[in-house]
Amino acid sequence: MTTKTEALSGTRAREESTDRRLRRFGQDGQVLNAFSHGFLALWAFMIIFPLLWVVLGSFKTNAQIGDSAWAWPAHWSFDAFARAWSKGIGGYFANTLIVMAMSVTGTMLFGAMAAYVLARYKFRGNRVIYYGFVAGAMFPVYLALVPLFFQVNNFHMLNTYTGLALVYIAFSLPFTVFFLYAFFRTLPTAVHEAAFVDGCSHTRAFFQIMLPMAKPGLISVGIFNVLGQWNQYLLPVVLMQRQRGDTEAHQMLTQGLVNLLAAQGYAGDFPALFAGMTIAMLPVVAVYLSFQRQVQAGLTAGTLK
Amino acid sequence: MRLSKNLRKNLFVTAFLTCPIALYALFVLWPYLETFGYSLTNWSGLTPPTKFVGLQNYTELFGDSVFRSALWHNLLMLIVLPPVTIALALFFAFMLNAGGRAGAAGIRGVRGAAFYRIVFFLPQVLSVAILIIIFQEAYRSDSAGLLNGIAVKLGLTDAAHPLGWLANPNAVLWCILAILIWQWVGFYMVLFSAAMQSIPKEIFEAALLDGAKRGQTFLRLTIPLLWDSVQTAWVYLSIAAMDGFALVANLTQGSSYGGGPDYHSEVLATYLMRNFLTFGKAGYACAMGVVIFAITLLLSFVMLRFTRRDSVEY
Amino acid sequence: MSFAHGTTTATTRRTVLVRSATIAAMAAPVTGLLSACAGGTGSTSAAPTGPKSADNPFGVEPTASLDVYFFEGGLGSSFAKAFEAMYQKKYPSAKISADGGQNVTGDLQPRFNAGSPPDFIFDDGAQKLELNVLYTNGQLTNLDALLDAPSIDDPSQTVRDTLVPGTVQAGLIGTSMYSLNYALTVYGVWYSKTLFAKHGWTVPQTWDEFTALCQTIKAAGISPWAHQGKYPFYMMVPLMDMVAKAGGEDIMKKIDNLKPNAWHEEAVVQSVEAIYSLVSNGYMLPGTEGLTNIQAETAWTQGKAAFVPCGSWLEQEMDGITPAGFDMAVMPMPQVAGDAMPATSVRAVAAEAFIVPAKAENPAGGLEFMRIMCSKAGGAAFALDAKSLPVVRGAITPEVAAAMTPGTKSSSDLIAAAGDNVITWNYANWYPQMETDLENAMGDLMAGRIKPADFITQAQAAADKTAADSSIQKYTRT
Repeated sequence: MTTKTEALSGTRAREESTDRRLRRFGQDGQVLNAFSHGFLALWAFMIIFPLLWVVLGSFKTNAQIGDSAWAWPAHWSFDAFARAWSKGIGGYFANTLIVMAMSVTGTMLFGAMAAYVLARYKFRGNRVIYYGFVAGAMFPVYLALVPLFFQVNNFHMLNTYTGLALVYIAFSLPFTVFFLYAFFRTLPTAVHEAAFVDGCSHTRAFFQIMLPMAKPGLISVGIFNVLGQWNQYLLPVVLMQRQRGDTEAHQMLTQGLVNLLAAQGYAGDFPALFAGMTIAMLPVVAVYLSFQRQVQAGLTAGTLK
Repeated sequence: MRLSKNLRKNLFVTAFLTCPIALYALFVLWPYLETFGYSLTNWSGLTPPTKFVGLQNYTELFGDSVFRSALWHNLLMLIVLPPVTIALALFFAFMLNAGGRAGAAGIRGVRGAAFYRIVFFLPQVLSVAILIIIFQEAYRSDSAGLLNGIAVKLGLTDAAHPLGWLANPNAVLWCILAILIWQWVGFYMVLFSAAMQSIPKEIFEAALLDGAKRGQTFLRLTIPLLWDSVQTAWVYLSIAAMDGFALVANLTQGSSYGGGPDYHSEVLATYLMRNFLTFGKAGYACAMGVVIFAITLLLSFVMLRFTRRDSVEY
Repeated sequence: MSFAHGTTTATTRRTVLVRSATIAAMAAPVTGLLSACAGGTGSTSAAPTGPKSADNPFGVEPTASLDVYFFEGGLGSSFAKAFEAMYQKKYPSAKISADGGQNVTGDLQPRFNAGSPPDFIFDDGAQKLELNVLYTNGQLTNLDALLDAPSIDDPSQTVRDTLVPGTVQAGLIGTSMYSLNYALTVYGVWYSKTLFAKHGWTVPQTWDEFTALCQTIKAAGISPWAHQGKYPFYMMVPLMDMVAKAGGEDIMKKIDNLKPNAWHEEAVVQSVEAIYSLVSNGYMLPGTEGLTNIQAETAWTQGKAAFVPCGSWLEQEMDGITPAGFDMAVMPMPQVAGDAMPATSVRAVAAEAFIVPAKAENPAGGLEFMRIMCSKAGGAAFALDAKSLPVVRGAITPEVAAAMTPGTKSSSDLIAAAGDNVITWNYANWYPQMETDLENAMGDLMAGRIKPADFITQAQAAADKTAADSSIQKYTRT
């Protein structure tokens, strides 16, 4: 009885001590603290300020934009947004979504298939294929740009959604395979084996058992791929130009916006350009804000490999 | 008739690998291989490659001072971008996860951590076109620019002597690097932050019981525990450092793919593209691609050797 | 827009001009939909013709219908109506069907494929038909017949004689002209008449007057000169204008033909030194060496600088930015005494392609339509309706000029005063690598980082490098 009480009070004492030490930890450098907070705030300002400045630009006049970057909008009107929309921002958005719907799905599907087989099956050539994929992640895309253009042309897929999507998939595979390979290796084998005992086919085992188990990994690599493909600039610039064919260029958003920027040399409608930027920015920021928990959770899962 | 177990397995493996390998071979491997082939021709990119010129493109390349400076610029970015970005990202991640006051509940991030976590990530979701617009005005070389406006207000200079930024050959590459860091820090902050959350809190608390200070916990504990993530970040930032095309091509001086003033911001990607499209020297551009390929390969080996270190298990 | 163009940095129309050669060539090897054109047999040889005469050099069948298509872009489409009315007046019984739009390829590709293209096309815009591809597929009418036909205004002259120098060259594929480049871009140095009047400044004629005025302007607290430093091409224009004027045809041949030591000629040296003196005397708008075209030109419209070098698109580019009553005007780059070309010489480039498809129903009608465009009345209609200058000489009569906007009118006066003395340079189009090196050197010169002697050394090195590079196809200026 006595011993038990002593033990209890001892625990309490230790808890108190931990608490005190932790408090001290929190306070151990007021100077450092002030500096750190200041730095965090400064960095946040460095990000928010330019973005707000773009939004403000949609309400300025041409002359104000050409003048000082510090000018403040004189009147608040949404005309510029209508003009920007009429310049095809919506089309660029649609093009990007179409391509990414195909390419992200394809990347995830093919990436998971290859990674799964490489991670879970022993066969001759396994290592060669795995390293072949992983090596591709090390080189910048532009190295093979010249032949790639002609390769896509050979398939008559320049300026087509499918062509760009296939190229995106191919260039996203190395990273996806590398990442998911590690993930599939960590999944427990027991469930998988039980499935085979029940007479489940390899294909069914993959789609019905392994894929759902790999969901956290798929989400996090999916996020990497969405971000990577969303910001792709060089590939669409080379592959999605009108080939004096029967259609217009199926420009991606990034490319369309840069061209819009270039085209300002003639039209001189800067508020519309800024409004276009704002239009392009808002949905993405909105999507990010609403899914940021998942994005960060996904990344957490990814690093747990 | 039932297929043998082994055959079924082999069929499955083949079926699952065919599509990914076919795509990868067609659009990644084959173009890379073709780059080697084209690099031995004097192909203009306009007509089918006709004349075999042997190693002429390569000998020319080694005498090309623009290529050398472009290569140097990429190497400089390779030296600066990963460590600076990772250091900042680690610092922010640490602040957001363990920088705040700690109480009975254990270790917490600074106040506003959730807000910072959202804001810091924003540059990642913005299209590069938006970055170009923003930084074109930020770095504007007369007194109307955002940064020059601040510099004049702070009295660092006056309106008659604005800072050149992108127009200053000694500053231009650093200006580009600053954008890359600005763009990437948030992403790796979130990545490290996620990894940190997966470290059991008891480890920190145990360290504190041993009397460790915050700086020490950061250096001795956090970084070793995150070594895997840091390594991944290093590899990807290195690839970003070897690129830089979109920013250099659109922001710096020069009509076709920037690179100015006088090649002071030239990177391999812009020089390759200019040779390919503006100069009509596709064979030469391919030789350049092969050399960059070899250098990247070499660097990757060096980097793997250098960063290999047993990761800490917990 | 084809592959290369519009990729990234084509912020200025000038890049479009410089690059067009490369771009057009780029498109050629890419097998495309137009190869299907060759299959469109249709009515190739069924073109109706009437008897040829001095008044009807192409043998237009007066009753044959005419089918025209106009791109509807920055130039508008009202000028098209004016041309159609002129044609209708000449052939009242011809039925004219006019079509137009912004997607030229989308609208016309099916018709080319079906073998029934229009008789006349204004081919422009982002979705324009690539001329090289049309040419390769035998779809373009050789326009040499147009050039050799008598002019409407003066039958003793050929159409060729009535066009501004350089027009024919701009439309050449091989040795024949296949497109009529009808709109003229003129380059010069721009200023505000209002600003000059306010300070009592007069437009300088000579280099000495110019530098004296710069001193006065600087004393008045205004920067004399702004330029689009991010794109050093803009400053290459005034420099090479001065070089051309100082050295004449001789220096133009030497430089275009990559002759050894061409850049060390006195004409070049004195011009580079003159340009550099603007920098060394502190006449530049502070920071202008890093500004984009829009930033620099906007600063100029706000009166921060007195002069800016640019092409005649400037007025339209600054539309909505230029304050009311600014009254912009353009002058030639001032000349140094004793020049080989008159002070009024200017650089001019013909652009905006008009074509006659080879497999059209009524190609004679298409050619006649072009001949009408090349009359003074046609040119005047274009100047008034499209607010742009035509390549037709003498089209801008005082009455026409009175109705034009200040910048266009001033450009028109500039090219009229130049007469035959139109400056053209080919090296930038022929040798883009040399041009890139030159522009880099120019950027350094304008920022004061190098001296004129360095610029000349670098320029000569660039020319020598191009001359020595066997992989670069060489051209000759004759």
